[in-house]
Amino acid sequence: MNWTSRLLLIPWLMIISMFILVIIGTMALYSASDGVWTISVKQHLIRSAIGFLIAFFIAFLPINWLFRISFLAWFAFVCVLMLMPFIGVGAGATRWIDLGVMNFQPSEPTKIAVILLLARYLSLRTFDQIDKFSIYIPAIFIIGIPSALVLRQPDLGTGLMILVGGLAVIFVSGLPKKYVFLGLGTVGASIPIIWGQLYDYQKARLLTFLNPDKDILGAGWQITQSKIALGSGGLFGKGFLQGSQSQLDYLPEKQTDFVFTLIGEEFGFVGSITIILIYFMIILSVTSIGLKAKNRFTRLVSSGLGMIVFLYVFINIAMVTGVLPVVGAPLPLLSYGGTAMLTVFVILGISINLSINRDKEDLEIS
Amino acid sequence: MAKKRKEIQEVANQISRRMILVGSLQIGFGLVLIGRLYQLQILHSDSYLKLSDKNQFDHRLVVAPRGRLLDSKNRLLAGNSEVFELVVIPARTKNLEMLLIEIDNIVGLSREEIEDIIVAAKNQPDFIEISIKSDLTQRELSHLAIRSAVLEGVLFQKNFNRIYPQGKLLSHVTGYVSGITAGEVEKNRKLQRLVGLKTGKSGLEKTLDDSLRGIAGKERIEVNSRGKPVRFISDSVPKQGRDHQLTIDIDIQSYAVNRLKLGNSEQVEMAQSSVQEAINNNDELKAHINIGETMILKDANSRYVPPEAGAVVLMDIHTGAVIAMVSSPAYDPNLFAGRISNRAWHNLNEHPRVPLLNRVIAGLYSPGSTFKMVVYAAALEAGVISSDAAFKCKGFFEFGDRDFYCWQEKGHGVVNGRQAIAQSCDVYFYQIALKTGIERIHNMAKRMGLGKITNVGIPDEKVGIMPNREWKKNTRGTVWTPGETVIAGIGQGFVLTTPIQLSVMTARLANGKKAVKAKLLSEATKTSDDFPPLDISSSVLREIQRSMRSVISSARGTARKYELNGYGLAGKTGTVQVKRISKAEREEGIIDNIDRRWKDRDHALFVGYAPYDKPKYAISVIVEHGGSGSSMAAPIARDILQFALERHDT
Repeated sequence: MNWTSRLLLIPWLMIISMFILVIIGTMALYSASDGVWTISVKQHLIRSAIGFLIAFFIAFLPINWLFRISFLAWFAFVCVLMLMPFIGVGAGATRWIDLGVMNFQPSEPTKIAVILLLARYLSLRTFDQIDKFSIYIPAIFIIGIPSALVLRQPDLGTGLMILVGGLAVIFVSGLPKKYVFLGLGTVGASIPIIWGQLYDYQKARLLTFLNPDKDILGAGWQITQSKIALGSGGLFGKGFLQGSQSQLDYLPEKQTDFVFTLIGEEFGFVGSITIILIYFMIILSVTSIGLKAKNRFTRLVSSGLGMIVFLYVFINIAMVTGVLPVVGAPLPLLSYGGTAMLTVFVILGISINLSINRDKEDLEIS
Repeated sequence: MAKKRKEIQEVANQISRRMILVGSLQIGFGLVLIGRLYQLQILHSDSYLKLSDKNQFDHRLVVAPRGRLLDSKNRLLAGNSEVFELVVIPARTKNLEMLLIEIDNIVGLSREEIEDIIVAAKNQPDFIEISIKSDLTQRELSHLAIRSAVLEGVLFQKNFNRIYPQGKLLSHVTGYVSGITAGEVEKNRKLQRLVGLKTGKSGLEKTLDDSLRGIAGKERIEVNSRGKPVRFISDSVPKQGRDHQLTIDIDIQSYAVNRLKLGNSEQVEMAQSSVQEAINNNDELKAHINIGETMILKDANSRYVPPEAGAVVLMDIHTGAVIAMVSSPAYDPNLFAGRISNRAWHNLNEHPRVPLLNRVIAGLYSPGSTFKMVVYAAALEAGVISSDAAFKCKGFFEFGDRDFYCWQEKGHGVVNGRQAIAQSCDVYFYQIALKTGIERIHNMAKRMGLGKITNVGIPDEKVGIMPNREWKKNTRGTVWTPGETVIAGIGQGFVLTTPIQLSVMTARLANGKKAVKAKLLSEATKTSDDFPPLDISSSVLREIQRSMRSVISSARGTARKYELNGYGLAGKTGTVQVKRISKAEREEGIIDNIDRRWKDRDHALFVGYAPYDKPKYAISVIVEHGGSGSSMAAPIARDILQFALERHDT
């Protein structure tokens, strides 16, 4: 295939959408820094530029390579996650490794490794094997080990993302209906057990979520202020740099987890909807690569990666609008913070790679 | 094979169906978010907007009192006085302009002030307070209080005004503060919430602004149902900025200011009718009166003249501490604390002798003969002459097709280096400059601190010019000529220095071991042990120091009349031509300085240190258009050194 027709296969819509989000994110950070070009605003731009470079690097790797390194990547990240109690930094939660230039959160790229390994494993199953329950046991381990490690860090948001993203890949791969219902039943039954495993602050957050007004100055305060900010934004918002809630420091995490609130306050319902639509553009771009692809690996990876982007967006926005409890999850490309943004750029790189190679049929054999 | 193909197709179809199912679920969840946002931002927007308004008014910042500036003996140089300020919150008013007109009727606002406030209100979020008038008098306060029921959205708050009890004595060192400007808000939007904040605009007030500013407090306002504040609840108390101690001794500073201003003239009573008449008829005197000058002089020709303009820097040669830093004329920094009136600003800004200019760090002067030590040291160090080498001065030096004149028309006869310094023979220095070359002179000057920023802590310091070949090529694009080396040999031509650089040079010559740096903050002098070595051989330095001593001690020294009895003074005079003397004028005989127009008179310079045997202080004095260095600058330097030394000894 010549390179001009390959260029047409690049998911341009996804690249453009991400570019627009980076620009909006920079503006939002500028506003969150009281209209000053602080180091963090510049860093956001620099990191995005590096992100695009990384994405293009991944995009032109041989696709078989992605397939082959998946086990190694998964294994390496599981090892790092096991070591986190010893090498991690951060107040209370051992989520980050200090890399000097930035704090690295290994649980973020673990999501991608889980999706790649699962897709590799499941795409190699024959038609006859799909119905057998035993073949899903390794898959459960591929998901279960890293998500359990992340949940114990404790990082509820990321742990759930690995879990749900992985289960989505299993579901898409053709899990028989009876097991789907069995799985849903198990999840329902295990809720009390999970509750028992949660840390007190996680329980408190969930309880606060169920009744935020009871605890207006404690854990519910953030969510109440976030709702006031969004609600007072109205249809068109208060205008750029005019959001009183954010400018008066009523939003404690306005540069990171609550950046969507800041945009919603300053640009209103119109602004919030625009952001959601752009993210869905990205989710659908990723997923549609799989729909058009001719090999199973690509189809499973794309649906898994699409699910991860969806989960980022849904968990964050649901959190700041008070639909879900505060779990501490960033909104990549808009939030200030390195690793989640890096993850999304890696997803971009893999998506371009898959898209260019989507007509290859016999990937699993090579 | 066909079966296998069919199976693969079946799996593919299954995956596609499931992907579409998952995609639909994602879109469904997306719609839930949009529904939620619709609920928050459209359906319930009004009630959230009320809550957000309440948050805005609940919360405000309280400006912290500024840190104080103290002199080396802890006397107050810059402090705060409590004032009442009137502010308005535009969001709480129905019609801002009408309200301001109402307030104008009570306290009096200028059209300009009203417009400023309206513009400010448009350029920032309307929940942010704007200062209407700081420094309300008791009378204004009570008038406003009576009418407060009808003045919607208006608050009184306590604030601080900056005060400088020393008035004009130290304005160029402390600098001044005034209200935040649009440019500062542009750089840091947080500032607009600090109502009544004043920031340093010049001097140490500007350099130390971050440290002096302190940390703003937070306050919540309880509002009654009609929007009137009922009480203030403090969430965090403002933290006063840090105090800073200066190396300045205000007594010595005060003496130095007055001594420089007096020059060689006699102070007269302002109240005398002849003086008043002179002021009315003389724009220059009037300009001085308009900036608050209270000293009028009578010169040797019995004319009424304003005080001398110029600069003095007195430094400790061991610690680099600046004991006095004078730039004349000065301004009153207290003028800026409120809103400075247009008239006062005009008087300062349009003044013929530029009182806003800090001459010590930003006044550029040819060093003239005070530069001769640099040339002599460079020549001795390079070995192009020995200290015994003598040259004949016949009053001029022929070089190329040009004559370079000595100030002494008759010539000095045969002089060696020490005599040439003592008598300030130009011809001697023309010749050794040529032998030494501009590069060596340039390097020696830089080592002495000339042509280098001193970073003493006052913003907008000028670097001056210490020329060499590279400099000329880069700035003029032409090659250096030997004639330019000749003229640089007497500190004229391209060479430009600031008074503080000259004092640093003198301190280094007197210290002899360390490359002393000028410091204005006491804490900085405590770490002064780490000055780099000066790295000039002691025999060269000794010769320079002896030569500087002979300027005062030898029978023909240019400052022989100004010995510092009991201490011993070493120094060097300088007289810098401001207006070029034409050949015709030279032949006709040069007019005495006092008979020329002020602007055409020579600058008078003196650098020196004392006591000679055990140096403590170095000084540089520049009297703009003061005549000659020996008759004008030397006695000023001597008197200030004497005052400082006697004060130190007691």
